[in-house]
Amino acid sequence: MEVETGDLIVGVAMVVFGLIGLTLAAGATDNEMYVFGLSLTAFAAVFGVGLIRRHYDKAEAYARKENGHG
Amino acid sequence: MANAVEYNDDVVKKFVIACVFWGVVAFLVGVVLASQLAWPELNLGLSFTNFGRLRPVHTSGAIFAFGGSALFATSFYIVQRTCHTRLFGGEALANFIFWGYQFFIVMAALSYVMGYSQGQEYAEPEWHLDIFLTVVWVCYAVVFIGTIMKREEPHIYVANWFFMAFILTIAVLHLGNNLAMPVSLFTAKSYNVASGVQNAMIQWWYGHNAVGFFLTAGFLGMMYYFIPKAANRPVYSYRISIVHFWSLVFMYIWAGPHHLHWTALPDWTQTLGMAFSVMLWMPSWGGMINGIMTLSGAWDKLRTDPGLRFSVTAVGFYGMATFEGPVMSIRSVNALSHYTDWGIGHVHSGALGWVAFITFGALYYLVPVLWKREGLYSTKLASWHFWIATLGIVFYITSMWVAGIMQGLMWRAYDAFGFLQYSFSESVSAVHPYYVIRMLGGVLFLTGMLIMVYNLIQTVRGPARQSVSPMMAEA
Amino acid sequence: MFIRHETLERNAFLMLVLTLLVISIGGIVEVIPLFTIETTVEHVTGVRPYTPLESRGRDIYVREGCYTCHSQMIRALRDEVERYGHYSIAAESMYDHPFQWGSKRIGPDLARVGGKYSNDWHYAHMANAQSMVPESLMPHYAFLAETPLDLDDLLPRLKAQRAVGVPYTDEELANARADLLTQADPAADNAALLKRYPKAVQVGRGGAEPTELDALVAYLQVLGTMVDFADPANENLRQ
Repeated sequence: MEVETGDLIVGVAMVVFGLIGLTLAAGATDNEMYVFGLSLTAFAAVFGVGLIRRHYDKAEAYARKENGHG
Repeated sequence: MANAVEYNDDVVKKFVIACVFWGVVAFLVGVVLASQLAWPELNLGLSFTNFGRLRPVHTSGAIFAFGGSALFATSFYIVQRTCHTRLFGGEALANFIFWGYQFFIVMAALSYVMGYSQGQEYAEPEWHLDIFLTVVWVCYAVVFIGTIMKREEPHIYVANWFFMAFILTIAVLHLGNNLAMPVSLFTAKSYNVASGVQNAMIQWWYGHNAVGFFLTAGFLGMMYYFIPKAANRPVYSYRISIVHFWSLVFMYIWAGPHHLHWTALPDWTQTLGMAFSVMLWMPSWGGMINGIMTLSGAWDKLRTDPGLRFSVTAVGFYGMATFEGPVMSIRSVNALSHYTDWGIGHVHSGALGWVAFITFGALYYLVPVLWKREGLYSTKLASWHFWIATLGIVFYITSMWVAGIMQGLMWRAYDAFGFLQYSFSESVSAVHPYYVIRMLGGVLFLTGMLIMVYNLIQTVRGPARQSVSPMMAEA
Repeated sequence: MFIRHETLERNAFLMLVLTLLVISIGGIVEVIPLFTIETTVEHVTGVRPYTPLESRGRDIYVREGCYTCHSQMIRALRDEVERYGHYSIAAESMYDHPFQWGSKRIGPDLARVGGKYSNDWHYAHMANAQSMVPESLMPHYAFLAETPLDLDDLLPRLKAQRAVGVPYTDEELANARADLLTQADPAADNAALLKRYPKAVQVGRGGAEPTELDALVAYLQVLGTMVDFADPANENLRQ
């Protein structure tokens, strides 16, 4: 099954967010920026994993359907 | 027809859950703040529990978390139904809008209690959060407008006009009011680009239209869909809808300066703001009439459909609040009402009576539909919710009327010798009983909310729908 | 209807453009002239940028959300002028990024609180408001007295304000740290500080390092004192 364009765009955006988050946390001069940076990275990572999981769930369901129809 | 298009209801469901959750949080924090004002020891003297830092948690929680989630849920639900098409942009983008918005809310609340604030009401999040919200909002606009662009219906339904105006205007306001210079790229603190009187004008251009477009235009979108739907009647007047929409979006933008009467803002600006605020009465009441009259011939449904009862009462409160607002924007009335609790009462007759009630109406309608249940778990509990919440609102706004007018009168009272009669602290102790009553009103409103939570959870846990009842038929 | 509304209902793009147009007018008419009409902000003598310590105090005022209960805008009404002093003029908040006029008086207006009470009163009041005013609803801010003022980013903060229009001179920035320490130490020689920032009030209780409370009190003590309304030069206040 092909990767959906929407998934791809959001996935790339998550990579960018994750990197921005790490950069902010690394350079942070106050607590808020540190917490925000780390949280943004965590958010991006979890969301990215969710995207991958959903993709494979869908692919499996698709494959099962294909098989079912024989 | 309903089966022809597979709607993305997953994201709608998520926003419905978020809306209920944030509603409980926002009302709870509201009760805490009301208690702190009645008994200041409850501030505890800790930086993160003091009133000043918690107050934005309540306002942002109620407006952006509770109200915002309700708007996302209903706008996504409505735009798919009225355009007969699935959401534009795919599931990943819709999911990002949901989780991104929730992330923004949590981070904003956390930053307030940690002591990071722009110091402008309803625009407290600092610059980095503003940028993140902008990203989410642009995605929202893309999905919503994209769905309208690929609609299968020739006409754009009236509810969607309001949602589009809401999305567009909030973007403009958000960008305009949050222009700030960060101390550095790695520091959350920033200084707004504008200062003093210009900053004040821009802030209330933003602030009043957060009310006008977030809490009014968006929720009118709900009114224009759910009331006709639940009453099973067409909108009362198509012509009023058109006049309502264009006059409302044109006039609201001007009303901001009524928050700055008698201040250092130039008189010409104040006068403009006042004039447009008074004129706003007309479109507001036009819309109210359009909503309520949609029920003509179906009034009996108010007895049997608790959701509809909430929606219609909401429109009634909308009429009341939009009558009170223009009155308070008249400069001589404002001289008394400004800076007092009258303003707080006014805001809450809108927030509790209009925004929350129309949301409750939508939730009672949506949950059985989205989770494909036969109907609500208990209409009796919904009735209880209705009356307890209504009583709570009455407690709230009447106590704030009395407290506010009393403060206004005490501050300007002169004794027989021509001296000011009361010290400020006397006006503080005088309103104590009303602060207690207000807190009780908040507790009632929260209680009603908890009843709804139980009712909705039981509805979802109940048996799935067997047949398609007429109520469930798609538009 | 001059144009058939149906045209708009069938064309999302047209509808969006028209909506944008309609919502822009009010904002443009009300906001832009405030930047261009010269009489919007009065020309008065005395208004100066905040001292480094006052500015840090103002940051704390914003951080703690003081504006949620206190206004800083005395309206041009008889009773307000009698209660709080001369009505506020736009020039007095011209260096306020953001403005803190507020919208609610759970506590009294603070636009002219400067000089109204002694430093000692403020220290006691901030630690426990009810000890000074029994009816007060104000939370306790004792923790501010125990928190040392963070001076690391003092200069970036002042520079950010300069970037948005607060006219800090290079000399003022170069002396920022020294000026701050002088103002927070009642025993220090404040001649240079007063030359740069007239009417700056020295605060502090002789502690080793400045606290957040010192900064906040310095800010409160300057509020509303910059413009001398008895000065004939300021007589022709026009709006």
